[in-house]
Amino acid sequence: MTQALQTIALGLLIGGVYALMAAGLTLVFGIMNIVNVAQGAFLVLIAMLTWKAWQLTGLDPILLALATTPLMFGLGWLLYRLVVVRVRGTTPAMSMLLTFGIALTIEGLLNLTAGNYFRSATPSYFAQSFHIGSIVLPKAQVYGCLAALLVLGLLYLVLNRTWTGRAIRATAQNPSGAALVGISASSVAALSFAIGTATAGTGGSILSVLYPFFPASHYEWIARLLGIIVLGGMGSLRGAWVGAIILGLAETITATYGSPRWATLVFYAVILLVLLVRPHGLFGTRLREDVAT
Amino acid sequence: MLTLKDVHAGYGGGDVLQGLDLSVVPESVTCVLGPNGAGKSTVLRVVSGLLKPRQGTVSLAGERIDRLTAPQVLSKGIAQVPQTGALFPRMSVRENVLMGGYLIRRQRKLLEERYSAVADLVPLIAERPGAPAGNLSGGQRRMVEIGRSLMLDPSVILLDEPSLGLDPRSISAVAALINGMRERGKTVLLVEQNVRLGLSLSTHGVVMEGGRVRLHGTAEEITDHPEIASLYLGALEPNG
Repeated sequence: MTQALQTIALGLLIGGVYALMAAGLTLVFGIMNIVNVAQGAFLVLIAMLTWKAWQLTGLDPILLALATTPLMFGLGWLLYRLVVVRVRGTTPAMSMLLTFGIALTIEGLLNLTAGNYFRSATPSYFAQSFHIGSIVLPKAQVYGCLAALLVLGLLYLVLNRTWTGRAIRATAQNPSGAALVGISASSVAALSFAIGTATAGTGGSILSVLYPFFPASHYEWIARLLGIIVLGGMGSLRGAWVGAIILGLAETITATYGSPRWATLVFYAVILLVLLVRPHGLFGTRLREDVAT
Repeated sequence: MLTLKDVHAGYGGGDVLQGLDLSVVPESVTCVLGPNGAGKSTVLRVVSGLLKPRQGTVSLAGERIDRLTAPQVLSKGIAQVPQTGALFPRMSVRENVLMGGYLIRRQRKLLEERYSAVADLVPLIAERPGAPAGNLSGGQRRMVEIGRSLMLDPSVILLDEPSLGLDPRSISAVAALINGMRERGKTVLLVEQNVRLGLSLSTHGVVMEGGRVRLHGTAEEITDHPEIASLYLGALEPNG
């Protein structure tokens, strides 16, 4: 029983972090039909920067998200205005090619400047745990999950309680309707892309503590994140949440009762089964036109 | 006065509007009639800034608006209600209507005042503010769309086939709203396939053919014009 509770608790902690990482990806797809496969590279880039800053200053890597999140917001905004805007209105395949190019550029630059070997930030609490009854929760995972939930909560508030968020949701639901009420599609697109990459700011800082990484780790991360949003339904934030929790639980349950090497396979098997029954994912809509008219 | 002069516009495959001249009398309801493909909806898209004319000018009260973006045209007081769904399906009725006031979002008091005024005009908005727009019937959506377009208190309202796909009861509710707009001194430019309904709501009529204005006059003049019957028949022929 204790082992089961322990496994579920760890799965939920990991799921919370995955939810944040996937939220940015699904948000950008939902609003712009852009599949940002550079999201994994953004995570690794920020993990590397966080690791470096932690090495130089000793500042807490997760708290460094306070700097890396706005940094990624700015970088995302610039990238959109300078590069991504050029594939706006084309097919998602074009956006994948472009963002894959961005990912390869980041990987190459990291290889050149930081070298091709594993790193991990290990703050003082790295090996410590909270004990709740007989359940052991590693401090790093608890702090990481709390930071992720905080940012997800902020994202929820921005999307639901501010005019900026309403404009973003309106554009996602009905772009021509949004234009009719005076919402500037290009501003909303730049802002959404920036918010999407900003989540990789927090996500990357958390990643630097929870997972060892090296420049090419981004392939593994983007595969995971795409898996989550395909399972949840492309473009659905709620779907990203549920997909992330399922991935977190699948990983910990398989690792506990089977072997860690089967964890990824189990998750993809779940995706396969869900897509057999619901081809558009758990919370996906068939076509935007279906609901817009 | 809303004026279009020598307007040429299209969607890339040749011009739909081919030298259109049109003057819309202030505080009138003008109904644009014509067979399918005459360019009626294109006129509305050009006025609202959603489609840039290749040639010619559009002006409102002497000021050119043909080079403005759609949000800029909206801020000049021209609102459009398009033919197909313009609502945000996963937002509530209230949120949808409030989004109509996006350009005055920082003036909270004014926004609430406008919302109350619109809810008075469109009872559905007052009765079901929390209902998701995606769950409304076609007629109800139309009422919310029209209500939303009034949030900026526009001087000119462009309505594209407001009766399309509606049952008779919804049509009379939409007709009552249009009559209300006329009484409050709004200028309405209306595209309508239902000729009898369109002209009965209007003070003026415009008949288009081949991207140009064929006839222009008061609603009575258009109704009584001998050519109208043949043009109507033209519109009713398949692929006409």
